[in-house]
Amino acid sequence: MSELNLSLPLAPTVARVASRRVIKRLLSVLLSAACLSMLIWVAWLCFEWAFVNATVSSDARQAECVAGGGACWSVIVNRWRLIFFGLYPFEEHWRSVAACSIIVVTVILSCVPALWTATRLGILWLVGFTGFYILMRGGLFGLSLIREEQWGGLSLTLFIFSASVLIGMPLAIVLALLRDTKLPWISKSTGLIIDTIRSLPLLSILFAFAVVLPFMLPDMMVGEKLYRVIVAYALYFAAYQAEIIRGGLQGVPKGQDEAAKAMGMSYRHRMAYVLLPQAFRTSLPATINQFVVAFMETSLVVVVGFFDLLASGNAAYRTAEWTFAFVEVYAFIAAIYFIFSFGLSQYGAYLERRMGLGKR
Amino acid sequence: MSSPDSAILISALNKHYGTYHALINVDLAVAHGQKVVICGPSGSGKSTLIRCINQLEQHDGGTIRVLGTAIDADTDDINRVRQDVGMVFQHFNLFPHMTILENCILAPMLVRKVSRSDAEATAMQYLEKVHIGDQASKYPGQLSGGQQQRAAIARSLSMQPRIMLFDEPTSALDPEMVSEVLEVMVSLAAEGMTMVCVTHEMGFARRVADRVVFMDRGEIVEDGSPESFFDNPRNERTAKFLSQVLKH
Amino acid sequence: MKSWSSRRARYALLQALYVASLATIILTFILLARIKLAQQGINSGFDFLWKSTGWEMTFALVPTSPSDPYWWVLLMGFLNTLLVGVLGLTLATALGIVIGTARISSNTALRIIGTVYVQLVRNVPLLVQVFFWYALITRLPSPKNAINIGGVFLSNRGLYVPRLNVEAWATLASAAIFAAMLLVCLWLSVFARAGWLHAKRQPLMAGSVASGLAIMTMLFVMGHQTGTPFVDEPVFRGLNFRGGSHIQPEFFTIVLAIAIFGGAYVGEIVRGGFLAVSPGQIEAARSLGLKTWHVFSRIQFPLAMRAMLPMLTNQYIWLIKATTLGIVVGFADLFMVIATAITQSGQTLEMLGILMGAFLLINITIATVSNRINSAIALKGHQARG
Repeated sequence: MSELNLSLPLAPTVARVASRRVIKRLLSVLLSAACLSMLIWVAWLCFEWAFVNATVSSDARQAECVAGGGACWSVIVNRWRLIFFGLYPFEEHWRSVAACSIIVVTVILSCVPALWTATRLGILWLVGFTGFYILMRGGLFGLSLIREEQWGGLSLTLFIFSASVLIGMPLAIVLALLRDTKLPWISKSTGLIIDTIRSLPLLSILFAFAVVLPFMLPDMMVGEKLYRVIVAYALYFAAYQAEIIRGGLQGVPKGQDEAAKAMGMSYRHRMAYVLLPQAFRTSLPATINQFVVAFMETSLVVVVGFFDLLASGNAAYRTAEWTFAFVEVYAFIAAIYFIFSFGLSQYGAYLERRMGLGKR
Repeated sequence: MSSPDSAILISALNKHYGTYHALINVDLAVAHGQKVVICGPSGSGKSTLIRCINQLEQHDGGTIRVLGTAIDADTDDINRVRQDVGMVFQHFNLFPHMTILENCILAPMLVRKVSRSDAEATAMQYLEKVHIGDQASKYPGQLSGGQQQRAAIARSLSMQPRIMLFDEPTSALDPEMVSEVLEVMVSLAAEGMTMVCVTHEMGFARRVADRVVFMDRGEIVEDGSPESFFDNPRNERTAKFLSQVLKH
Repeated sequence: MKSWSSRRARYALLQALYVASLATIILTFILLARIKLAQQGINSGFDFLWKSTGWEMTFALVPTSPSDPYWWVLLMGFLNTLLVGVLGLTLATALGIVIGTARISSNTALRIIGTVYVQLVRNVPLLVQVFFWYALITRLPSPKNAINIGGVFLSNRGLYVPRLNVEAWATLASAAIFAAMLLVCLWLSVFARAGWLHAKRQPLMAGSVASGLAIMTMLFVMGHQTGTPFVDEPVFRGLNFRGGSHIQPEFFTIVLAIAIFGGAYVGEIVRGGFLAVSPGQIEAARSLGLKTWHVFSRIQFPLAMRAMLPMLTNQYIWLIKATTLGIVVGFADLFMVIATAITQSGQTLEMLGILMGAFLLINITIATVSNRINSAIALKGHQARG
């Protein structure tokens, strides 16, 4: 046993390991430097393009912009009203601004934990949405009537988003509860509906509701195209959100339901006061993520012929004098979407971190 | 009809999990004001039995009468019975998104339709009784295990039940917190509450129980006074169990 | 001895009512639709599948003509969807692995690059990206001034790449061999986990890859069109390129958009998978004296893979569905073919049925394969939750 192999040259091994470490270290420093310098270079190029060499004068056209060598923000300066408001009457643009601000404030307020009860959130969204709708449509309080066909740009995007979430959320809860019941036939048939909707592309559902439905149903059942599209969005949102809520429900420990049962609480009370609040809490990050996805997916309405933010952006550069400036227009639109969804998703990530800390 | 002095009357109770026979022809009668301790090795069916009493588990044979009402899987107003039967769980099962006080007033307000102020007064009275009145506005996660279990007892009492079921209330606690929970249970027993406790705390059984029931493999093996149970067990399985529990 | 109690009867009635009302709604809808379609002179049924379409597809693997019947055009559309899906998912996965690795690397600059990429791509709608790439590609230089990247020509007419001058049967056969090779490797690495196969799976894998490659080479040589050069390179002549393979800008756009968008999501999944491996496992492996590579290949990767697979499945299904966005640039995938067919033929119900069926088929296939792999590699027994 004592004949351990001590003849192995220990010292050279140590030296070899040490030198290998030095080489590794050196390589990683070099890699870092290379990546970092590339990063800085690209960042500088973008900065130079967007700010240093950019043209912002409202009179500038292609010739001046090319001469400047950077971004041609003149297109935005000239066309921002089209991008934001679409075909909404020019002198009423302030109403669109006010309406959008209401929705933005509503979304921000929904992030305040003190308002996280079903009633408070429900009231907040109903009030916000009603305010938005009255301002946009008018016909009340001396505001002139502007029909939905004339809505466009950012306000249309926000309208579709908030309306479909407002319908979709209660629907999602109902679907989740129906799928989660112990009654096998109700659970299975609801599951079939949810899975079918989830397996279809959103675009095909939009297409079916917006374009195909009028061919198929009696005229009185068809309704306006915008509202059909909103129903389609709400259904799709609900199918995904229902699964998120169901996941949250399954994550609530069984003992919680048992404790509530043991005190004689009915199914309705157990769900409303004990199980759903906890399910929503655990599934909050996923829910926020779903909201972000829903917001970004409103852009698909362009395919079925609506004039939302993306479509009005397309229109903004698709004229003879601006056709070269597509990068600037898409950068501008992308920035608007980015602000909304990055803000929301960072908030979701923050909540997730906080919840992770709370568990420990 | 059940005899008027039986709070719980169980006869020929059977329960299967698939092919596993969890309860085999169990008969048990608990009189009003009686304190029964159920013990036995793990997997003996004692938790299943106590959870059948308020139908958290559904039996598939035999009858259960609680406070004169026959209950089974088809009972419509099971919640009427549950109002009068409090239960304390091994893992407390306090609602983590509500304060201790909110935990205590939720069911009285929703089920018994008590006003908020009355519910709070009752709840505070019970919280004081279990010595955590000063913790009422905290969340369960901020309390120690022993405090949480006492809060859970106060929550059950706030419904002003006529029977209390305890399902291993001290098994999930750190050893130093066991006695504070047992003290609360002892004082509750002294007030005349009808109690059925599943527990391994033999000291508690000796001190409080009117009867000790020993279960093994789904059957009641022994049922008698604590003195006879501890001092001269009739069944060898009981003797073996006692020697294992009391050895340490 | 249990009686048919009132409670049970009520539950049964409730379920029957629910299912019946759902069925009624769906049936009413179909009936109303049939009546309305009949008024417009459209007969329901699948007979129209054998009629010729009268319109041309802009992109198909096999050249189509307006006289082709509907079923053939639908099949081509389905193949286009599959092609975009497979290419897009493969590229997205490759990109995602790079991005995910960058996001967890110890190199700060790489981490920043990965983070910027992910945040930028994930927070801008895919449709905006599709529009952007299409606008960019269609504004590239004309073929005359095409950008040459090692024999691949990029212009506003799309991509021109060299190809082999081989008969179609040889291409198809070697594609089949390639797929078979991948399947054998997958099966060996995932399912053959017990018995003698387990011990010999590495030489078996190497053998199957080698024989696969050999057969493919042989096929190419046999299928070589005599009298032509083996490699056909695109050459600019007149106004456009001759020779080589032409990848249309529409196809190029949608594959690129799916790859870039999917790459960000797959990257996050890869990152999440590696972060899900508890540090204790890695420490344990290190303390056993395993080399860095072995720690990665035997401990980190297999454990991370188990965490990633369910999320990857969902992401793949999502991306396949997202290929339908190709319609905005006019790529003739299944959805666009069906949308055109509905407006042209009016066979609405049948077309919607086919659309549903096709996507259900794709989703179920992905989900089934992933579930099989998942249960094959699932950790046996109960694990302590960390």
